[in-house]
Amino acid sequence: MIKKYSKPWWFILPGMILGLITLGFPIYQAFRNSFYDIRLYRLQNQLFVGLENYVQLWNDSIFLLAVRVTVIFTFGCTLLSLICGISIASVLSSEKIRGTLIARFFMAFFIVPFVTTQVVTGVMGRLFIWDVEFGLVNYLLSLINISGPAWLLDANLALPAAIVTNSWRLTPLALLVLYAALATIPEALIESASLDGANELEIIFKVKLPMIKYHIIFVSMILITSAFREFDVIYSLAGRGPRRATNVLSLMVYEQGVSVANMGYANAIAFTMFLIVSIMTIIFIKIFSLDDVGV
Amino acid sequence: MNLKKNYDFIIKIIILLIWLFVSIAPIAVLFMASISDTALFQTIPELFSFERATLENYRISINQGNFFFHLRNSLIIASSALAVVLIVCTPMAYGITKLSSRRSKSAVVFGVLSTRFVPYVVIALPLYLLFRQIGLSGSLFGVILAHLSMQMPFIVWLMVGFFDGIPDSVEEAAIIDGCNPLQVFYKVSLPMVLPGLNAAAILAFIMSYNEFLFGLFLAGPNTRPLTVGIMRFVGGVEVGAQYGVVAAYASMIVVPIIIFALIVNKYIVSGMTQGAVKQ
Repeated sequence: MIKKYSKPWWFILPGMILGLITLGFPIYQAFRNSFYDIRLYRLQNQLFVGLENYVQLWNDSIFLLAVRVTVIFTFGCTLLSLICGISIASVLSSEKIRGTLIARFFMAFFIVPFVTTQVVTGVMGRLFIWDVEFGLVNYLLSLINISGPAWLLDANLALPAAIVTNSWRLTPLALLVLYAALATIPEALIESASLDGANELEIIFKVKLPMIKYHIIFVSMILITSAFREFDVIYSLAGRGPRRATNVLSLMVYEQGVSVANMGYANAIAFTMFLIVSIMTIIFIKIFSLDDVGV
Repeated sequence: MNLKKNYDFIIKIIILLIWLFVSIAPIAVLFMASISDTALFQTIPELFSFERATLENYRISINQGNFFFHLRNSLIIASSALAVVLIVCTPMAYGITKLSSRRSKSAVVFGVLSTRFVPYVVIALPLYLLFRQIGLSGSLFGVILAHLSMQMPFIVWLMVGFFDGIPDSVEEAAIIDGCNPLQVFYKVSLPMVLPGLNAAAILAFIMSYNEFLFGLFLAGPNTRPLTVGIMRFVGGVEVGAQYGVVAAYASMIVVPIIIFALIVNKYIVSGMTQGAVKQ
């Protein structure tokens, strides 16, 4: 009854119009521009080139490298944040700690990396965490007599350092969602498992994790999409990195569009990114059959 | 047995303390560097010795770095985008939960989600080109427009979840009492999701305050937010000399937002977990 009565489209309409202006229009422009040759300094002469920009992508070794870097970065961040998130969430939700003041205290501070401004995270990483001589990481390594490398200047280490830095920022998200999920598992279930002789690790892997399967998929999806589009952290941490080791697609779009001023090509990369995200969204909706149960 | 349990508990607290260190230590180093005289480079123990404490870095950030000017821009951008989005998107989210046709519902959900996950360069790049063509480049309007595109799907997505939690019976009772659709919305449903609305608004505000990419692409000399303002001390020839200034600038950006986040912790937690714990 409420559904018929409430005239939903009148509520949706203003938002839809604003969405078409702020989201639909730029995405359409990215699509349209990707078929043109547009140079930033002579905008009047836009030349229609059809699919040429897209064809060029497949022969551009810098683009192919950026795809590789983006994939490694995205899955690296997702995996690392998930592992850290699950581990800490299991500890935090264990019998004696969950729901206590101790848990609330820790949780409040565990959120700090997530609200830390991304460029500050990047700049902090560059100057005070990964620096060869003055960084925190190499200082901690020196305590156990290891002399740390120049992380961000080494083509093999810059990407892992960027992954760790961005995971530092994303872990709270995984941690929080999984902690909330773990807290919903009834105590009785865990007790009966431990009466059956399961040890703590078995309980985590055989009882708890299967029960929060959907939450893990859910949070993975958020992590994947936000690592995939990350720009701020990488730009301020390492830029495109030594030998383009950290040159993810977002950075390449900025470089091609603004620095090289090759707008058509940059738009083709950007629109390709949008297509990838759309496919991920469809998979996400299918997994959760969101249209059935509401969002 | 009891001994083993205590031992377990201590191990767990140690793990949590280590993670606390991981979460907080970088910020602590940053802050200590900001009050250190870093004309000379200092190692981590030297930073924490307070031997060369100074406020000079803050003075430079505020004077040469125009800190408060950029802060003003950041606040204008974040709050105007938020105001528009709240007014337009709260009803929209409500409407989405009331759609009866499956097909239109899944179309709307796809629209919201695919734009929720959209890479920000896909928005920023075409807008950058467009604003150059029509002579709006560097304007506050342009940056705010981009921030709308970021906040909109985020708020709609969260609010749909909160509105969905209202039982139909409550709204039906209001209809029987003679409320028209608009009155049902703002007299009955909206007050019930107010905590959710707070959570969504707080997160969206933090998101915009922290945002850098749109500022980099779209802001001009008069409209640059803090996140772009700090960059002039990061790059350039004098990199070495500017460590302390960068640290001071970064601390001034980040410390208020962290304190704010600790105060409104409850809302942030509910906003971040919304949509995840329903299955």
